[in-house]
Amino acid sequence: MNIVGLDALVFGVDDLGAAAQYLRDYGLVDAGGGRFEALDGTAVVIAPENDASLPKPPTPGCRLRKTLMGVADAAAVEAIAAELGKDREVRHLPDGSIESVDEDGFVIGFQVTVRRPLERVGEVSNAPGSPIQRAVNSNGVDAHAPQIRPRGLSHVVYFVADAVKAEAFYVGRLGFRCTDRFVGVGPFLQPSGTLDHHTHFFIGAPAFMTGVEHFTFHFAGPTEVMQNGSRFVVKGYQAFWGPGRHELGSNWFWYFNSPFGCHMEMDADMDLHDKHWQPRALPLEADNSQVFLLRHRAKWMPGPGTPHDGDYA
Amino acid sequence: MGNATLRLGRADDVPEGGAHGYDPSGDGQDIVFALRRHGVLHLWRDRCPHAGTPMAWRRHAYLNAAGDRIVCAAHGAQFEPDTGLCVSGPCLGERLQPVAFAIDGGEIVTATTNITKETSS
Repeated sequence: MNIVGLDALVFGVDDLGAAAQYLRDYGLVDAGGGRFEALDGTAVVIAPENDASLPKPPTPGCRLRKTLMGVADAAAVEAIAAELGKDREVRHLPDGSIESVDEDGFVIGFQVTVRRPLERVGEVSNAPGSPIQRAVNSNGVDAHAPQIRPRGLSHVVYFVADAVKAEAFYVGRLGFRCTDRFVGVGPFLQPSGTLDHHTHFFIGAPAFMTGVEHFTFHFAGPTEVMQNGSRFVVKGYQAFWGPGRHELGSNWFWYFNSPFGCHMEMDADMDLHDKHWQPRALPLEADNSQVFLLRHRAKWMPGPGTPHDGDYA
Repeated sequence: MGNATLRLGRADDVPEGGAHGYDPSGDGQDIVFALRRHGVLHLWRDRCPHAGTPMAWRRHAYLNAAGDRIVCAAHGAQFEPDTGLCVSGPCLGERLQPVAFAIDGGEIVTATTNITKETSS
């Protein structure tokens, strides 16, 4: 099937202007027509929730209307159309993509990926002894850096009524692979065209909650996540969880509430795995959900008048 | 300590049909919010009964575009603004926690204990 990852997530929102401002402040580029792009061309697309051209959500409370996946070539699009056409309607759209639904009623689309190759070095740290260092005289951080830009759409997390059934569909019909799982909760899934730890994660939940828990874009490294996230807080956006670093996938994370009825995360430095990786299975508990967890603080410095307990006073 | 009061802000800052969050600890995370509907001021904990987490997606952004529902931006729960009753979403039938307050000199004043205790009233 050679699915390389998410190309776009389409949301219906009740306040288009506010949602657009949120996405610009997050760092996406306004490409017009409700499309907000990362550096590689992957995107969030927003439209008024009453726009009749939007596909139907899986449940009334879900603002995600469509998950568009990118594949390697036109042959892969047709292979998926043939596979899904065995037991469900597959629509061929004028733009060459196809559209269908998954087991939980999420509308899914497939197209030849819009992802542009990115050739930019990620965050490099100067670790003593490491053969890979930043160029001499280049600074690790710029307090006045222009708007930080996410590099590409990373993953989406669905609440699903039956995580076993959802996993069977994505693995059996679309060629995904489980890389890790939380026992009794759901799997992290990787499509065959990427090494990213996951592009999808499913959380079993009551059927009326079927919808999105969060979605996220990859940033260049932890510094971009921290700096972009701190600026986001200063602009008034409300953090939900983080910053921290997950255990499964190793990605740095910072989750924020969003006008999309779910969280929007900033992530960086996710593990890459191939077919030789053996999936882990962990119980879902706070200890396994992150290796460490931090919290945003207002800027502070030690000096005259410093409380005895310092920043922790 | 139990009788300490907290002056949250001016009641005038809460417009009709709008909401205003308060962050007494100054760490960027509001813990209580006021809204005014049909001329009446309501004060609620910024804590969704679903997961116990903050609800706004941006400071003061607690209401839907129509202004007739409080929306939790975490998982989409919706509440009646004047009763705090969840009418849609994962905590259907549960309620937001009201915070007792008084208006003193045009300011919203509450007891510190009203917004530091973790248990619901």
